[in-house]
Amino acid sequence: MCGISWVQILSYLTFVIFAVGIASKVIKIYALPIHLRWELYPIPHEKAFSYGGSYFEEVDWWKRPREKNFLNFVKFLFIEILFVRVLYHNNRKMWHLSFPLHFGLYMVIGWLVLLFLAALLLALGLSNENGFILFLQGLATVLGVVGFVLAAVGCVGLIIRRATAEELQGYTAPIDYFNLIFILAVVVSGFIVWLFPDPHFLTTRGYIKSLITFSDAGPLGPGITLHITLFSLFIIYLPFTHMSHFVMKYFLWDKVLFEDDPNVRGGAVESRVAKVLNYKQTWSAPHMHAGGTWSETASRGVGNEEK
Amino acid sequence: MKKNNITVENISDPSIQMADIKPEDLMPLPYPYDTPDAQPPLKKLTDEQKEKYESDLDGFLALKLPKPETKEEEEQLVRQFLGGLKKLLSKENNWTFLMPLLMSLEYCAKCQTCNDACPVYISSGKKEIYRPTYRSEVLRRIVNKYLKRGGRAFAKFTGNEIDLNWKTIARLAELSYRCTVCRRCTQTCPIGVDNALITHELRKLFSQEMGIAPEELHEKGSVQQLEKGSSTGMIKQAFTDIIEFIEEEIEEKTGKKIKIPIDKKGADILLIHNAGEFLSWPENPGAFAIIFEEAGLNWTFSSEIAGYDGVNYGVWYDDAQLARVAVQHVKAAKELGVKKIVVGECGHAHKALMVIADRVLNEDLNIPRESCLPLLADIVVNEKIKLDPQKNNFPVTLHDPCNMVRLMGIVEPQRKILRKIAPQFREMSQQGVTNYCCGGGSGFAIMSSLNMPDWRITVSGRMKFKQILETFQDVIDPDIRKMVCAPCSNCKGSIRDIFEYYDAWEKTGIAYTGLADLIVNAMVDIKGPFIEWPDEM
Repeated sequence: MCGISWVQILSYLTFVIFAVGIASKVIKIYALPIHLRWELYPIPHEKAFSYGGSYFEEVDWWKRPREKNFLNFVKFLFIEILFVRVLYHNNRKMWHLSFPLHFGLYMVIGWLVLLFLAALLLALGLSNENGFILFLQGLATVLGVVGFVLAAVGCVGLIIRRATAEELQGYTAPIDYFNLIFILAVVVSGFIVWLFPDPHFLTTRGYIKSLITFSDAGPLGPGITLHITLFSLFIIYLPFTHMSHFVMKYFLWDKVLFEDDPNVRGGAVESRVAKVLNYKQTWSAPHMHAGGTWSETASRGVGNEEK
Repeated sequence: MKKNNITVENISDPSIQMADIKPEDLMPLPYPYDTPDAQPPLKKLTDEQKEKYESDLDGFLALKLPKPETKEEEEQLVRQFLGGLKKLLSKENNWTFLMPLLMSLEYCAKCQTCNDACPVYISSGKKEIYRPTYRSEVLRRIVNKYLKRGGRAFAKFTGNEIDLNWKTIARLAELSYRCTVCRRCTQTCPIGVDNALITHELRKLFSQEMGIAPEELHEKGSVQQLEKGSSTGMIKQAFTDIIEFIEEEIEEKTGKKIKIPIDKKGADILLIHNAGEFLSWPENPGAFAIIFEEAGLNWTFSSEIAGYDGVNYGVWYDDAQLARVAVQHVKAAKELGVKKIVVGECGHAHKALMVIADRVLNEDLNIPRESCLPLLADIVVNEKIKLDPQKNNFPVTLHDPCNMVRLMGIVEPQRKILRKIAPQFREMSQQGVTNYCCGGGSGFAIMSSLNMPDWRITVSGRMKFKQILETFQDVIDPDIRKMVCAPCSNCKGSIRDIFEYYDAWEKTGIAYTGLADLIVNAMVDIKGPFIEWPDEM
């Protein structure tokens, strides 16, 4: 462990903080109580998704087996995440900038995954000249370079649009520009790394291998060090910003907009509802009768004196 | 192009009125309303009303909030609001919508994609305060600045600059009644953020903590329903009298002698209508009675508290009132021992009883509940009654009530019926789950104090009127009779008011009706037409 540099320590810390940050967000969501239904159609897992239909279209719907098309949901999610389809259909001007940013970042993630895979295989004993390693390295280079460029174009475009479009100006804060500039710095530094010190990302791959094997990373040079530092700081920052919508978007859809599970007698929903109906409410308006449980509140009539 | 320079921060500025609705700014309407004089002037508040109430949001009043008399009173109200906001963000007080609220507050990218989906924003001529994101952003900034650690220190950098004073709160309260909660904006959000949900939660905060709600929704609405049985004030005796009247009307119009079942123990179905139908459109419950009897269904009405009025205004502003009314509905069904509750042509009653209250009605209160639309479709499509579509041989279009369609996914049954009984059925341009609200959603249809109806008709209902006119442009001649089928009581009320305001029958020959009414109109064995056109009334 004596050869571990501060950059490597930062990288390990980045991984841990990111994982803990995202996990804590997800755990917080799962820890929230069941909420009343608030779905919005069309819902991809419904069999009548094509026109936005639901099981409520059937007579005696509760007597029929519940059909959920999970594959359709996954398909919807995949297309939405990859291509930002809702934005494409509803705000084309924004999509022209947002899509390159997002797709560029996905390519950068792909670059990182491929480099990691190549580094792992090298650590397991494959040679530098192995055909599969060369293939991974070539593909990673293409993904990385194109990703850096796309994301940078998206960032610059969004900065300009936020600064010039009237409907966005009053709603764009310094922090929004800071976030975009931060991403820009990360991807531009990555592009510079490819351009000058590491045209095939071999040093970068070597660095990742050193992280896997807990060994000395060797000299990185100022360009790669700067890129790794910026990249790490951004990943540490990410879970604590609204940019974590890349994960939370799933919950907004799956747990709210597409959540149409009916309350069936003896079912899981019923027992979760029983629990929350025992929460005590303390709302102050006279008709609320603060201090009672929600169950008591619901079963209470309202007389004149209680308005 | 931006029409004004109003910003989010301006909501706390007492020196300005935030929006002024001028006829020339409104979204243009098609022929024959495409000239400047086709838009009647909007009713203004009197000086006395302006003096008495907080009215400088846009010069319209849904709430009639009195102005505080002292600085101390203002400060007390601000503290009360912040206390309520904390409760809104706690699981014990707001388990009902906490997860959707937290996520919608946290993850908006402020891309404004939702703006163009909002009929209120577009119809108003893009007034800044009506952006779906405007009120959400105000609330988000208050939460971030006043309730989060370090919020004030970094407010400028994080974009949470806002002053919380009584003016902010009064305007925010009024602004929570400038959105129909149609949730069209949510459909277009690339992240799934729900600005309509934030509107709903704001209304709850004001009602549940500060006792602030439109009197038509609370005192005259849900409170009256729980006390007397109906938000219309209709008591049991009045209900049974109306049923007798409907029986007489049925016999007179159709030659059919029908005894409408009330409180029939052991019936299969408890049918619950919006009580507004009994008072304003008794032919609609009459049509249901004819269809159900003809199809041989074992059904009944209830005359118990809330059992004859399916409305549930709580769904728009107050979780406790929502739950109380829903429990009363189900108790009426339990009392009769029915197998299921069928909700008549009322959109919000559908959503309240079948969807929102689904996680309130546990165990023995969980009686199966279904929409009338699939049941009617089953009767019509499977020819359980004899129909002659030629009796409906005039242009018909369908209005999709948001609650039934976008928010419940009941899209096809009503179309299957119309395709079977209306040879000239035509869809509107935005239909099904992408429909536009009638303008009366979230309680607006029944909110009629001061000049609010003018706002509803000319702003929130404008897109629907435009849509209807565009659908019938090729037959817009007033001599050609045409019909909007609106299978929802509140939507019918809203459309009725729009048509009256613009003299739509005289100028375009467009009328409106319910779905059951059209079905009965097509029945072979009734002696005369069931539908009455406006010039026949």
